[in-house]
Amino acid sequence: MIKSYKISFSGQVQGVGFRPYVYNLALEFNLKGTVSNNEDGVLIFASGDSQNITTFYQKLIKFPPPISKIKNSSIIEIENVLFDYFKIIPSTKNGQLNLPLTPDFAICNNCKNDVENTENRRYNYPFTTCVNCGPRWAITQTFPFERNNTSIAKFPMCPKCEKEYNSPPDRRFHSQTNTCSACGIQLKLINNLGKTIVIEQSNLFKKIAILLSEGNIIAIKNTSGYLLCCNAEDPKVIQKLRDKKHRPHKPFAVLYPSLEVLQKEVILNENQLKSLTSAELPINIVSLENYNGKIALKEVAPGLNQLGIMLPYTGILKLLANELSFPIVATSGNIHGSPIINTNADALKKLENIADYFLQHNLKIEHPQDDSVVKFSTKFQQKVLFRRSRGYAPNYLETSINSEQKILAMGAHLKSTIAFYPNSNLYISQYLGNLDNFDVYKRFTEVTENFIQLFEQQPEIILVDKHPTYQSTQFGKELAKKTTSELIEIQHHKSHFTAVLGEHNLFDKKVLGVVFDGTGFGDDSNIWGGEFFSYQNNKIERIGQVDNFDWLLGDKMSKEPRLSLFSLASEEMNKILKQKFTSNELNNYSYLKSQNKLKTSSIGRLFDAVASLLNITDFNTYEGEAAILLENSILNYNLKTCKTYCQLNSLGFSAKEIIKNIYKDVEEGIDRTQIISNFLFTLATHILNFSKEKGFNKIALSGGVFQNTTLVDMLIELASKEIKLYFHKDLSPNDENSSFGQLMYYLNIHK
Amino acid sequence: MNIENIGFETINLGHGSGGELTRNLLDKIIFKTFSNPYLDQKHDGSIVKFEGEIAISTDSFVITPIFFKGGNIGELAVHGTVNDVAMCGAIPKYLSLAFIIEEGLKVSEFIEIVQSIKKAADESGVLIITGDTKVVERGKGDKIFVNTTGFGEMHPMANISVHNIKEGDKILVNGFIAQHGMAIMSEREGLEFESTIESDSTNLNFLVNDLLDTFGKKIKLFRDPTRGGLGTVLHEIANDINKGVYLKETAIPVEKQVAAACEMLGLDPMYVANEGVFLVVVDPKIENEVLELMRTHKKGKNTAVIGEFTNEHPKKVVMESLIGGKRIVSPLVGEQLPRIC
Ligand SMILES: [Fe+3]
Ligand SMILES: [Mg+2]
Ligand SMILES: [Zn+2]
Ligand SMILES: [Zn+2]
Repeated sequence: MIKSYKISFSGQVQGVGFRPYVYNLALEFNLKGTVSNNEDGVLIFASGDSQNITTFYQKLIKFPPPISKIKNSSIIEIENVLFDYFKIIPSTKNGQLNLPLTPDFAICNNCKNDVENTENRRYNYPFTTCVNCGPRWAITQTFPFERNNTSIAKFPMCPKCEKEYNSPPDRRFHSQTNTCSACGIQLKLINNLGKTIVIEQSNLFKKIAILLSEGNIIAIKNTSGYLLCCNAEDPKVIQKLRDKKHRPHKPFAVLYPSLEVLQKEVILNENQLKSLTSAELPINIVSLENYNGKIALKEVAPGLNQLGIMLPYTGILKLLANELSFPIVATSGNIHGSPIINTNADALKKLENIADYFLQHNLKIEHPQDDSVVKFSTKFQQKVLFRRSRGYAPNYLETSINSEQKILAMGAHLKSTIAFYPNSNLYISQYLGNLDNFDVYKRFTEVTENFIQLFEQQPEIILVDKHPTYQSTQFGKELAKKTTSELIEIQHHKSHFTAVLGEHNLFDKKVLGVVFDGTGFGDDSNIWGGEFFSYQNNKIERIGQVDNFDWLLGDKMSKEPRLSLFSLASEEMNKILKQKFTSNELNNYSYLKSQNKLKTSSIGRLFDAVASLLNITDFNTYEGEAAILLENSILNYNLKTCKTYCQLNSLGFSAKEIIKNIYKDVEEGIDRTQIISNFLFTLATHILNFSKEKGFNKIALSGGVFQNTTLVDMLIELASKEIKLYFHKDLSPNDENSSFGQLMYYLNIHK
Repeated sequence: MNIENIGFETINLGHGSGGELTRNLLDKIIFKTFSNPYLDQKHDGSIVKFEGEIAISTDSFVITPIFFKGGNIGELAVHGTVNDVAMCGAIPKYLSLAFIIEEGLKVSEFIEIVQSIKKAADESGVLIITGDTKVVERGKGDKIFVNTTGFGEMHPMANISVHNIKEGDKILVNGFIAQHGMAIMSEREGLEFESTIESDSTNLNFLVNDLLDTFGKKIKLFRDPTRGGLGTVLHEIANDINKGVYLKETAIPVEKQVAAACEMLGLDPMYVANEGVFLVVVDPKIENEVLELMRTHKKGKNTAVIGEFTNEHPKKVVMESLIGGKRIVSPLVGEQLPRIC
């Protein structure tokens, strides 16, 4: 019997080839009707055999298009409508946007084949995309995701592309980003004086590969932002890049020509392999144990036994990779600390002293994004996101929120992100960076304003960190005034805790929160960073804390690990301090310490102190350097040989005691790797013991310290069966999760 | 100048009682030192004549220690108020002078302070025309507090107001910043730096006067960034007029030793107090002439153009750093709380 149904899907269903997929499936099942995008997702009207429609619906849910993510779906019977066709109808905008935006997708295998196939009309065309791949969020101007609402609108389809677009069996049927060299985007190679290098398009990437091999630095405009590239096997050019970028030690990511080449040099585990072939395709931080390649590791990743690996995720990178016989450094195109550059003019102006050549194109990047970074722990392959950006932003699909209010959360300061709940979806921006930098701040305010505009919703509630001088807090306050929103300040570490609770939907459980972090403004006006919280029945209580020690010299303490050691050192360590400080410094700092009132429980600083005590480093040139070098000083650990460096007390443990006992071991000449293992073992053991003593069987862990995957592995290994550990899932443990945490705090804790 | 012995080693409560001892202290030290026709009337107050508008500014000076490298509380009390009057675009003429002395202050120290007040007032061309002296019990003060109020005649060509400032107007500063604050700190906390840092406390009224004589209305603003430093003052101005301030880090004059001392203590020189420093805001058209005039003046040898006003980022002070990035100079809120993780 012929019946008619209205079917809807919400989730990540636009810009992912959903409508063409539905179209082809509808034909298969002999259905008539329409499919369209609307502000809630995808809407289907279908009439046909009711049994067929049911199977059609089931099949869509079970086997949706590869890069889509269905969140909700529904099917209802409606009065019979008779169609004599099945048609994709153009999107109409009836209301306000109420669906996830679509993130950027890495180039798919089919498109890779197209650009490599000399017979294919897209041979060598770097902007080859299809319904399954290509930029999305990067080029989104407004919704719904239709060509006209993106910066591709500037390039009208040529007849051939048009034909593909209208041909149901084609992979580019209704592909909004469909272009070819006849209708599409133009590339241009110029030198740093602005002079165009005249070269045939077919030789362009060959030329770039030669320039790279000759030791040049090249700024490449990718589809989500500029990258700075140079030969990763050439120590001289890497050092040149470091000098020019004012980035002495922070590791660079390396683009490998292909998975095959990569696997010859690095052993990948199962999760890494999956991640490096996914549509998100983030940078993977992999271990260099057994590394067997020729990368200039000392220059690429000084002092580290790990490396950030990237594979070509756009046509541009793919075509370049095909010409390369060596891996290249590929790092965000910016001056150290500034946001990733997305316009040709900006690149020329700001990178003219860094890059020798620029590969430009004329596709406008609306939402510049850095590359996302992920690491899997060595032993248990626990996923730890270091940076959530391209491929993930700006959606967060994992948590269901039910609130009538429009809520905007401004996040933290150093690794800023914003979160917005304007409709029934939650959006979390890409990583935006350190707000002390004015250009980052500007981008931060632009992204905020863009979110408000895009979703056509004014915030009613604005959430900010309690820290009075976070730029995000100050901007949030201004915005609250302007929009007459209610402003609510939320303590930094509580928002870290609620972020993990939110990621795992634990608000109906009793959970211990362990937040180990660098800094955050505490409820007692001290600097927190080693906190134990209890959560139950929508209440958070701080039930423990690492014993307070002195916070000295403002931000300088975070930059100089030796100052953390100074703060934590006991008298007997004067000998060591004398090697690390001048006598003027020692006298002045002793005096300031004696007068000091600002206290801290920061585990970040405890890591710094240990790194200084072990002579790993006394000065940080990038955030977290000491902690990263510390972790990288050991390749492995053996729990059987580990011991703890302090006792657990009723509130936590003493950082001073840890330092004192490490010092003893140093004096006794105990091996450095053993000391580091012991130190991590101490933290892991006490987290688990604390939980046991206070009667918890669920532990939620957040804060930058849990980027230490060795600590993560130890925790997993040490935890008994009854204990369940909750790490961050789709967010980073660092301050990137603050905006989401603030939202969760407001919805679940704030009264 | 010859100061008579008042017969005591320290100042006690009796010196503030209003009786014989007070008379003695005032006559032998104050009046003798500051003797001038107005003060010599020994009346309850002084009667002075002004033509046209006058500028008045008052300030109380409480500082530990009262003697420091490069000065003491006395000359600070003169320079501070003289400069505040000058910043209004006026020519300082008269000062009032009031002491609150804590019982036990050494008479010799008091005399030294009074003498440097006299010297500073003479050099600044102002007369002390009225005053007051009180003594409080031990523990109720901190050695000595000084209050001065300055009176000045408006310079006929002055038109100083933040509201005259337009986008593109240049900001000049007359010399090295952060010296005074670091000198005081090193003295007070017993901090040790590679070399001693001296306070730059000085009067600025003659340089201000010269600038007004030459450029008149084209000078839009004078401001002395004392407490809170250059950063705080620039924030105030930016907020008052809803404009941004764009600074070049490399242009800001900071003496090497001072910079090193700030670095050692994790302090930003932009927030350290100054005394002999002021900033001038001018139309970009006269930027070079102003710079030249100031550099030839004794109090402006190290003058520099440090930045300008902009509409790009209202209410924000942004500094282009050495390596080309731009840093937000955030307003100081209470103590320096760390923000780096
Ligand atoms: Fe944090
Ligand atoms: Mg004043
Ligand atoms: Zn594709
Ligand atoms: Zn085409």
